[in-house]
Amino acid sequence: MSDQKERLAESLSALMDGETSEIELHRILKEVGIDQDQETTENSAQSGRRVWQRYHMISASMAGEPVSKIDYSAAISAAIDQEGAHRVSMLNNLMSSTGRFAIAASVALVAIFGVQQLNAPDPASADVIKFAEMDIESTERSTGPAIQFPSGFQPSIQARTVSAGGNNKTSQHLVPVVQVRKSEQRQFSETELRQYMDDIMLKHSNNAALNSNQGMLPFARVTKGEADSNKE
Amino acid sequence: MLCKKLLGLLLNPTIKYLKLAALMAAVFAHGPLIAEQMNSAYDLMARMAKASKELSYKGLFTYEYRGQLRSIKVVHLVRDGKTYERIVHMDGPEREIVRRGDNLGCLRAADRLLRGSALKFNNSYAELQDHYEFYIRGDGRIAGRQVALVEVLPKDKLRYGYIVAIDKETGLMLQSVLLSQTGKPLERFQYVYISFSADLDNFQLSSEMAESEGIDVNQSACLETNQVIENVTSIWEPQWLPPGFVLSSYQPADETGQESWMYTDGLAVFSVFVDSNEGTDNFPPLDAKLGTTVAVLTKTQYNNQLYAICVVGEIPRSTAGQVANAIVPRANLEVR
Repeated sequence: MSDQKERLAESLSALMDGETSEIELHRILKEVGIDQDQETTENSAQSGRRVWQRYHMISASMAGEPVSKIDYSAAISAAIDQEGAHRVSMLNNLMSSTGRFAIAASVALVAIFGVQQLNAPDPASADVIKFAEMDIESTERSTGPAIQFPSGFQPSIQARTVSAGGNNKTSQHLVPVVQVRKSEQRQFSETELRQYMDDIMLKHSNNAALNSNQGMLPFARVTKGEADSNKE
Repeated sequence: MLCKKLLGLLLNPTIKYLKLAALMAAVFAHGPLIAEQMNSAYDLMARMAKASKELSYKGLFTYEYRGQLRSIKVVHLVRDGKTYERIVHMDGPEREIVRRGDNLGCLRAADRLLRGSALKFNNSYAELQDHYEFYIRGDGRIAGRQVALVEVLPKDKLRYGYIVAIDKETGLMLQSVLLSQTGKPLERFQYVYISFSADLDNFQLSSEMAESEGIDVNQSACLETNQVIENVTSIWEPQWLPPGFVLSSYQPADETGQESWMYTDGLAVFSVFVDSNEGTDNFPPLDAKLGTTVAVLTKTQYNNQLYAICVVGEIPRSTAGQVANAIVPRANLEVR
């Protein structure tokens, strides 16, 4: 048995176990084809077809299945040859192309409306997306700061947050910006100013809770500063 | 394999056309909501005004501003025609606000405006619908409840807009987003949990609620139906107010010499404080901003006395500035 035959036998064995690659399968089929042509001249017992048959018989007998020696392959091959090739009719052709067009159109429609839904979601969910990019309106930045308190003006309670948050832009904290509109030489106490603003903002929010229809909202906006925690 | 099967199914002409038809139907059904709903949106707002006061509920809500989140617990009870409220901050230092004794029948200017009344003030009528447009923007789900979303857009640049989510069953506002003039969200208020269950009525009022002092709600700003809002007698008078805003409360000068006014258009509110004491004399004119609340402080001199005028509110900075500059002594007005 030549090396080639031995390799083929091994490959056939692998094929039976379903362990061959597609390239190998093609090679086996090709060699079996060549074998078939040479069958008459050479030792037919070693041809690929015979090996294949034999392996299957072994496998079948080991599994206790009935073993048949009849070779149907030639008859099946001949029957396939006699069968006419499938033809694609004009109508079928048209149908399938309209079908494809319809699919493409549906996909396009879905895409269009899907994208529209994405781009214009209902207002509430739009907020969620936009929340990250909130900005102070330019109108509210119009007056240039003559003096800007380095620590930012804010009620004492938020002071902790400021020191913790630093200048981290991604986690914006409540930093009330105070801008003095005219550069005045007048002396004033930053603490007093802070307390004053704290106080009036708190008074405003307490009043707003009663005088607006926003329910609890004003209480959340301005929190009670420590300076006047027991006043009012 | 599965893909091929699906493809085959789609290729089947009958199914294909059915699918197309369904798609088209879906597209048309989803078309834009029409402006005719403006009235019902406005009705929803009016219902909301009533619900926030008259319902008993407890819940947790969040307040978000620029990525900062606060969570707050609230209990709102109605007993014998009076309201009791307890608001507890759940984050940071312990803070608690208790209010009691607000009569259900006490409707203030904002209540009246939101419930559809036209209020007469300064010889003109103020009405909410003259200054805002209301649109229903579909349905949603907040705090596990079905809500209707209403977009409230201002008709001018003097005030902010809102998106509010109103509970379909009770009418309570479960979410409110404040929108800048450019339509960007500035802050968000949203319930995460709310309960309207009946056992709330039997809720034992906590000891703080019953005994704390200085928590009784002032009833002086209540308005009768069709009542004309009286202007107050003060030496100060606003020369200009954003249209639609009416006086909703006034506090005469206290022991520190601070007078305050509060104005509302039904949704937005701002306060005006006038101070004349040594403490405020030294303050320079300034702008302050805390979240969406702006404060504009101006100084003016009258009868050899320095006054600090401060406008505080959830209104655009430009509006607050205009109001602050328009507060003048009444005497000056009459001379002109």
